[in-house]
Amino acid sequence: MPFDLTVLTPHLDTLLAGALLTAGVCALGIAAAFALATALGVLAVGGGWAGRLARLYVDVFRNVPFVVQVFFLFYGLPEVGVYIDAFWTGVLALGLVGGAYGSDVVRSGILAIEPGVVEAAKVGGLSRPAIIRRIVLPIALRTAIRPLGSVFVNLVLSSSILSMITLDEVTGTARGVASETYRPFEVYAFLLAAYAGLTYAVSLGIDALHRRLNRHMADNGAARGAAPGAMEGTA
Amino acid sequence: MIAVEGVVKRFGAHTVLGGVSLTVAPGEVVTILGSSGSGKSTLIRCINGLETLDGGRVTVDGLDVADPRQLAQARRLSATVFQLFNLYPHMTVLRNITLAPELVLRRPKNEVEAQARALLASVGLAGKADSYPGQLSGGQRQRVGICRALAMNPRYLLLDEVTSALDPEMTAEVLAILARLATQGTTMLFVTHEVEFARRISTRIVFLDQGRLIVDLPTDQFFAADGGLAHPRIRQFLSKMAPSSTVAGAPVSEILA
Repeated sequence: MPFDLTVLTPHLDTLLAGALLTAGVCALGIAAAFALATALGVLAVGGGWAGRLARLYVDVFRNVPFVVQVFFLFYGLPEVGVYIDAFWTGVLALGLVGGAYGSDVVRSGILAIEPGVVEAAKVGGLSRPAIIRRIVLPIALRTAIRPLGSVFVNLVLSSSILSMITLDEVTGTARGVASETYRPFEVYAFLLAAYAGLTYAVSLGIDALHRRLNRHMADNGAARGAAPGAMEGTA
Repeated sequence: MIAVEGVVKRFGAHTVLGGVSLTVAPGEVVTILGSSGSGKSTLIRCINGLETLDGGRVTVDGLDVADPRQLAQARRLSATVFQLFNLYPHMTVLRNITLAPELVLRRPKNEVEAQARALLASVGLAGKADSYPGQLSGGQRQRVGICRALAMNPRYLLLDEVTSALDPEMTAEVLAILARLATQGTTMLFVTHEVEFARRISTRIVFLDQGRLIVDLPTDQFFAADGGLAHPRIRQFLSKMAPSSTVAGAPVSEILA
């Protein structure tokens, strides 16, 4: 049987709808993961109960398989009266797990900040929220944004599991089409391309963010070399 | 007035400040001398609230820096210039200067920017407003650090070894600006190793040795044979200091040209 993409034509609408749904659940999931990663990363740096709680959260969510979390949210929670539909369960699950992985990245970015820079902001009288928003996060994300991108790409890949909770995302749709047409080669070729396209879009977005966050370094290679030299006099 | 009363600071078992008392009145330029590890920088950090005290009390115009609310008020009265500049690397030079006046003092943006540009021009950096710190030399960065502090219109300027990370030429750039500030009546508490320069601009000099303030004298008496020099520890310290007359002697205009 020769490779013939035209066999997909009658199912193209279904497949594209699935891809669109995957894009939607991933976009919202990544946004949630980014917000959670940032919040947890900031909390995890601090001491006290908030810091311990944040680190505990990260440990718990990284040590449970994604599929188990998804099943728990979708099939487990209704037992206690909490109903969330498949789409929002997907967004929530991606956000929760992405937040856990991402927070470690944000945390290490924060720990890499020169303490004196934050001290300057403190002495200037800036409030704690202002320091976090205007100093700590923009500097931490300069280096953290690329590894965060890897976490987000992984979220897109993990989203295929959501077909197991009746969500008509692209993997589940493709399996349906494959069994209907008996043309798994073409169908899964489409699926490969769909995921490659989605993850490439994430990478492009991350690249743009990285450029924006590092714009002060873009036009001057010497700037990077100058900084370590200035640290030699550390008391 | 900055009043330091019997301040004790320990790092673990090590006592960095063992009961230091010191006052800085408006209009004074007080220099803190002492060898590395004598607690000079820690004293500055106790005044601007970057360290918590293990004993004693620090007040800035009556505001107790140990109390978070009073500290927030006290931080509007003083500004600090750091040894390693500590500029915000992701912000332009202009934004570095305008951030705190805008957010903390709630002054209008255009007014603060105008002041920032005037300050930059006064330290010879008029063309650098839109540069980023990483694009500047160390001396330029420290001049921005001084502008950032001055934009807060502080009553007290705290200077923590502000030239220690700079080469002699850049040191001269920065000291020239400080000399001018001193003649303009800016109140300063100045931690430095530039003894000759300190002698020229200070109204008073205090000497810290192993966390204790052993001498607090008007500048001329500090360098008098029967004053500070009568103290063996100070004589020993000053004798090891290389004279930096080239830096101290050059006039402001010459250095900035």
